[in-house]
Amino acid sequence: MTKAVDPVTLEVLRNALPAIAAEMAVDLQRTSYNMMIYEVQDFCCALLDAEGHLISQNIGGVSHFVADLGVVIKDGLNRYGKDGFAPGDVVITNHQRVAGQHLNNVCIYSPVFAGGALQAFAVVRAHWVDIGGLSTGFSAASMVVDPWMEGLQLDQIKIYEGGKPDEKALRIIRDNIRFPEAAMGDLRSQIAACKLAERRLDELFTRYGCDTIYSAIERIFDETERKCRNVVRGIPDGVYEAESFLDPDTADKTQTVPIKVKVIVKGDDMTIDLTGCSPQRKSGLNGRTLAGPYIAYKGLTGALEPVNEGSFRALKVEIQEGNFMMARYPAVMASWSRALPTVVDTILKALAPALPERIPAAHLGTLGGSMTFFGHDSRKGRDFVLQTIEGGGWGARPWEDGESAVVSVCQGDVRNAPIETIELKTPVIVDRRGLRNDSGGPGKFRGGLGIITQMTNLSEGRWSASNAGRRMCAPWGIAGGKSGTTSRNYMRNSGENDFKPFDPTRVLSGPGAAVRVETAGGGGWGSPLDREPEKVLNDVLDEFVSIESARENYGVVIDPRTRTVDASATSALRAVKRAGSGKEAKAS
Amino acid sequence: MAVVGHPQLVSPVSLVVALDIGGTFTDLVAFDLATGSIRHAKSSTTPYDLSVGIRKTLEKSGLPIDAIDTFVHGSTVAINTAIERNGAKTALLVTSGTRDVYQIGRGNRPESYNFFFKRPTPYVPRRDTFEIAERLNAEGEVMTVLDRAGAERTIEGLKESGIAATAVCFIHSWANPSHEVEVGKLLAKNAPGMFHSLSHEILREYREYERMSTTVLNAYVGPRVSKYLQDLENLLGSFGFDGQLLIMQSNGGSMSPETAKRIPVATMESGPVGGIIAAAESTRALGYKNVIAFDMGGTTAKVSLVQDNEPAIAQGYYVGGEASGHPVMYPVVDIVEVGAGGGSIAWIDEVGALKVGPRSAGGHPGPVCYGQGGTEPTVTDANVVLGRLVADRFLGGEMPLDIKAAREAIRTKLAEPLGLTVEETALGIVRIAIAEMSLAVRSVSVGRGYDPRDFAMVAFGGAGPLHTAEIARELHIPTLIIPRVPGHFSALGMLLADLRHDYVRTYYKPLEACDFTAVEGIFAELIAEGRALLEAEGVDEKDMTFQRFLDMRYIGQEFPIQTPIGAEELARRDIATLRAAFDRTHDRRFGHQAVDEPVEIVNLRLTAKGKRGQSKFPEVAKVSIGGSLGEREIIFNDPAKPVRCQIYDRDRLAAGQVVQGPGAVVEYASTTVLFEGDTLTVASTGELVIRINQANQS
Repeated sequence: MTKAVDPVTLEVLRNALPAIAAEMAVDLQRTSYNMMIYEVQDFCCALLDAEGHLISQNIGGVSHFVADLGVVIKDGLNRYGKDGFAPGDVVITNHQRVAGQHLNNVCIYSPVFAGGALQAFAVVRAHWVDIGGLSTGFSAASMVVDPWMEGLQLDQIKIYEGGKPDEKALRIIRDNIRFPEAAMGDLRSQIAACKLAERRLDELFTRYGCDTIYSAIERIFDETERKCRNVVRGIPDGVYEAESFLDPDTADKTQTVPIKVKVIVKGDDMTIDLTGCSPQRKSGLNGRTLAGPYIAYKGLTGALEPVNEGSFRALKVEIQEGNFMMARYPAVMASWSRALPTVVDTILKALAPALPERIPAAHLGTLGGSMTFFGHDSRKGRDFVLQTIEGGGWGARPWEDGESAVVSVCQGDVRNAPIETIELKTPVIVDRRGLRNDSGGPGKFRGGLGIITQMTNLSEGRWSASNAGRRMCAPWGIAGGKSGTTSRNYMRNSGENDFKPFDPTRVLSGPGAAVRVETAGGGGWGSPLDREPEKVLNDVLDEFVSIESARENYGVVIDPRTRTVDASATSALRAVKRAGSGKEAKAS
Repeated sequence: MAVVGHPQLVSPVSLVVALDIGGTFTDLVAFDLATGSIRHAKSSTTPYDLSVGIRKTLEKSGLPIDAIDTFVHGSTVAINTAIERNGAKTALLVTSGTRDVYQIGRGNRPESYNFFFKRPTPYVPRRDTFEIAERLNAEGEVMTVLDRAGAERTIEGLKESGIAATAVCFIHSWANPSHEVEVGKLLAKNAPGMFHSLSHEILREYREYERMSTTVLNAYVGPRVSKYLQDLENLLGSFGFDGQLLIMQSNGGSMSPETAKRIPVATMESGPVGGIIAAAESTRALGYKNVIAFDMGGTTAKVSLVQDNEPAIAQGYYVGGEASGHPVMYPVVDIVEVGAGGGSIAWIDEVGALKVGPRSAGGHPGPVCYGQGGTEPTVTDANVVLGRLVADRFLGGEMPLDIKAAREAIRTKLAEPLGLTVEETALGIVRIAIAEMSLAVRSVSVGRGYDPRDFAMVAFGGAGPLHTAEIARELHIPTLIIPRVPGHFSALGMLLADLRHDYVRTYYKPLEACDFTAVEGIFAELIAEGRALLEAEGVDEKDMTFQRFLDMRYIGQEFPIQTPIGAEELARRDIATLRAAFDRTHDRRFGHQAVDEPVEIVNLRLTAKGKRGQSKFPEVAKVSIGGSLGEREIIFNDPAKPVRCQIYDRDRLAAGQVVQGPGAVVEYASTTVLFEGDTLTVASTGELVIRINQANQS
C-alpha cells in the first residue's frame, strides 16, 4: 500500500470513484417504483473496500445515511470471513443489531473481485415501502413495542450465491411484506445498481491495477482528513457544551428526552461527546447511529466535498452502549432518525461561542410536517395514498436571514407533493399552502418562516399528521436572537365548524374533514433591536412580520396608513427596550 | 472580415445570415445558398447596448443587407436579464390560498450537508403576489367562480404601483384555462400597456410551482426582450433588410420575432444549441444517425446526444444552476456542461493535489502563452508545451504563442512543487481535463442508457478537435468527425435550424382507460395551433411536420418517458400498440421493461416543425495540394519521448485524402490531434472523419 501514485492518476481516480456512486444513485432512482426512493431520495449508494472502509458515497439524498455502511460490511465480513464471498453473491440485511435503523431501510450489497481476490463491496441501502410488521409506513411507529412488531428482520442473508438466487429466502421475504411487487422491483433495482458498480470498478482495476488504486484511495483518505483537520485547527481549543430536549415520547409521557452535547476541540482533533444524551427509550426513538455528529462535522469541514473514510477520521465520537442513539438490540427503532435534526442543531449550538461568525440559529428541528391520507376512492374505484412533507424555517445566519419553508438538515433533495399532483391522484382539495407569518424568530437577522398547509378530503379516508416531537423546545435563537414559533397540527371533523389542535394518527374521516399542519419557524440571530428598520419595514410590507410584531419584538414603529417607519418613535422605543433588556440581563 | 478558404461572394442570389451574440464576441456567418460559400465576421459584444456590436459586425461583414433572405438571430438577452435580475417590475396573480406557492417551491435542499443552502430569490416579491378568488378542480370543473370585480380591482392596484409585467397562474388552469383567459382579457382591456403572461399559454402541464416559475420568468424578461427585438428589427430595417428574421430557441428550433416577443422564455438557453444542430445536420449528410456532439471552448465543455439526427431534448432546466435555480419547464436541448475549457486553470490545492478548473483565465488575460498578462497555467498552455498546439500557426499565425512563458509558468507553479518534469505536468493537466470531460460524455450516453460505441463523436469549438481523440479512445467511441469551420459551428447551426414549436397538454389517465376520441381531439387542437403559428411565420403547408408524443410511465413511477407515436398508430386506437411502444422505449432507456405492470398516460406532446431550405456545403477540391506544413515534435503518451510527426494545413487537404496518425491538422481557429494508428480521411464535403485506433490506450 505504499506504492507512490502520480498526482495525475490520483486526480483522475479522485473524480472517478465518486462518479460511480453517483451513477448508482441515478440508476436506482430512475428504475424504482417507490416514491420513498425517487421523490424522498431515502437511499444511499456506496463503495467500500474489502475491510469496510468507505471509498465513496453518493451526495444529494437523505443526509443521515452519511458514512453509515462500514459497520454493515464489517459485520458481513465477521459473519462470512474474507474468504466467504464469491463473485455473484448478493447479501440482504436490515438487522438492527448492527444496522441500527428502522427495518424498512434494507441494505443490499455485493462483493467486487479483481485479480482473483476480494477487492471491494458495492452497497445500496434503500427505504422499502413495506417490511411487514404492524403497518405500512410510519403511522404505527408509536404502537410498536419490539422489533418483531416492526417487521421482517433480515440478518446478513445471501439471497444470491455465485449468481444463483436463493428462491426459498426470496419467497419468505415476498410472502411476509405487503407490497411484494414494489419491494421485489426495488430489490432488482438495488442489485442492478450494485452490478453497475462492479462493472465500473472492474474497468478501473483492470486499467490501473489494484495496487495503484488502493494506494490512491489511501492518499485520498489522507488528503480528505487533512482538509478536515485544517478547518478544525481554525476553531479555538476548548470544551463547548450545549443542551436541548425533545418532547416526552409516547412510551414515557412524563419526561422530556435530554440531548446533551459536549464538543472538545484540541488542535486539529475534534471529539463530539453524546454520553449525556438520554438512555435507550421504550419508544421507537432508538437507533445505532453516528449521523448526528457526522452531519454536523461534515457541514463544518467540507459540505460540498465528496464523502469517504477520510471525512471522519479526525473526528472522535463518544457514545456509550445503551445510549438511545447506540441502543442495544432488541430495541424499537421505528423512529430512529427523529432526534437527529435536533442533535445536529445542538452540536452547532455548542460551537457558537467558538465560531460566532459561522454558526446559524436553530432550524425547525424535525423531519418536517408530514401529512398522510389514504383510503379507497369509491368514485374512481381505486386505492390512494397521499404523502407530502412540508418544510419549515431555518435559523438565521450571522450575516443573513434564514431560509423559509425548507426541509430539515437530515433531508436533502426531498420535495413536497405539488397541489395539482395531490388533487389529481387523491380525493383531496388543498385549501391553502402558505408561509406562516410571524413564525420566524426575531433577530438582527430573522429566522425563516414555517408553512401552513391545509387540506380537505372529499371522500372517506384516514388522516395522519404526526407530532414530530419538538413542541416544547422551540427552535432557539443565537447571539440574542429569539426563538422561532413551534409547530402545531389541527383537525376539523366533517360536520364541524372549528379546527381543534390535534395530531391525527390514522383517523378515519368522512368527507369534509380537514387537517392543517403548521411547521416551525427558525431561530433569529442577534438582537432584533439591531435589525435595520428598513428590513423590518420590508418584512412588514411582505407580511412576513406583522406591524404588531415589528413594534413588540423589533422596536420598530410603522405607521399602518403610510406604511413607513416612524424613525423618531422607533429610536425612542428601541432605547426603552434596550434599557429594559439591560435590566432583565442584570436581574438574571 | 475573415474569408476562410472560400472565394469572395459575388452578387449573392440567396443569402442566409446567422448572428450569434455571445458573452465575448458577436459572431456573424453568412451562407450563399447558390454558391455554397461561407463568410464570417466577428467583433466584440457590447453589453451596454448590444445593437452597437451588431451594427459594427454588420458593417464589418460588408454584406449586402438588402440581399439577405433570412436572418437568424441568437441572443442572450433573455438569460442575461434573468441572471442579472434587471427585468420588469413583475406581479403575480394566483388562486386564493396559493399566494406563497412561488415562494415555497418544492422545499428541497439539493446540497444535503450545506447548512447555508440558498433557495432562488423569487423574481416577484410576496407583496406583489395577489390572490384572486376562483378555483377549479383537477377535472377542470369550476368550484369557485372567478371574482371578476376583485380581479379588476387588483389590476387597478397593479397599475398604480407601477407594475410593468404580470404573470397569471391559477391552479388547474392546465385542465381548464377559462379563468386565466378571462383575467388575460381584463389585463388587455384595463392595462393595455402592461406585458402579461398566462400560465396555460406558456405551458399546459400540471405541477403548479414549475408552471408558475416558468410563467413568472416569461413575464419578467418579456418587456426587455420585446423592446430588444423591436430595436433589432428597426436596425435591420435601417440597413434595408426586408427578408425573414428568425429567433433561435432553446429547443434547437427557430421562431418569428412576434412569437419570441410573446414567449421570450423559449429563447432562454438558445446560446449553445446552434452547435448541436449543426452537429446533427452535418453528420446526417455523411450518413451518421447517432452522434455525440462535443463543444469545447475557453471556459467549459458541453456535451449532447443526437439520436436519429434529432438532438436529445429535456423538458426543463434550472436558470441559475441545479441547486438553487429557478425551474423553467420549457423544452431545451439536453446539454451536460463541465468546467473544462482551454482557459481552465491548473492549480495545486491545500493538500498538494493537482487540479484543473473550474476557474478559467477566459479570453482576458487568457492563457500564459497568449502573452496578454496571464500568469496562471491553463489547459491551452499545457497543449502548447506538448506541441499539440503549434505555436507559430495559432489563428493562422496571426497570434504566435509564447511557448517559453507557458513552460515557465508550468515549471514554477506546478512541476517543481509536484516533483515532476514540465512535460509530465503538461501531460497530466491534459489527462485530468480529458478524464473530467469523459465523465460528462459518459453521463449523456451511458447515463441515459446508450452505449457510446454505437456513436460517432463530432468535435467543435476552438479546443474540441484538440482533445477528442483521447476522449473517444477513453470511451471506445470508434469514429470522430471534425466538421467544417469548427470554430464557428454554433452560428452555422443556426442557419440550419428549422422553425419549431413544442406544445404540451396534461392528460392524466390509465392507458387502459384512454379515450382515443379525446386524445385525437387534443392533438387536433395542438396541430391547429401549431399550423396557424407556422403559417403566420411564412411556412408552406408542405414544409410542416407534426410529431406526436405520449408521456407515459408504469403506475407507481414518477418520471414519465416521452414515447413517440405516429398518427397512424394513434388512429388504430389500439391500446396494445401504444403499450408496446412504451415498453420498447422504457427498455431502451433503462434496460428493462415490465410488461405486466399497468401503464398510465401523463401528458400529450406535439412538436410542430417548419422545414427550412437546407444549406449545402460546397465540395472541397479533389486534387491534393499536399497540405504538409513540415514536421514537428509532439508529446502523445510518453512525456519523455516526443514523436516527430507531420503537421498539415486543413485548407490544403483534398477530398479523399488520407492522413495517418501520429500528427496534427491545423486550421484557422482550431487544431486536430491524431494519435498513432488513428486514420483521418477527408470527406468530399470537407469534414475530417477519423477512425480511432482503440489499441493505442494511454
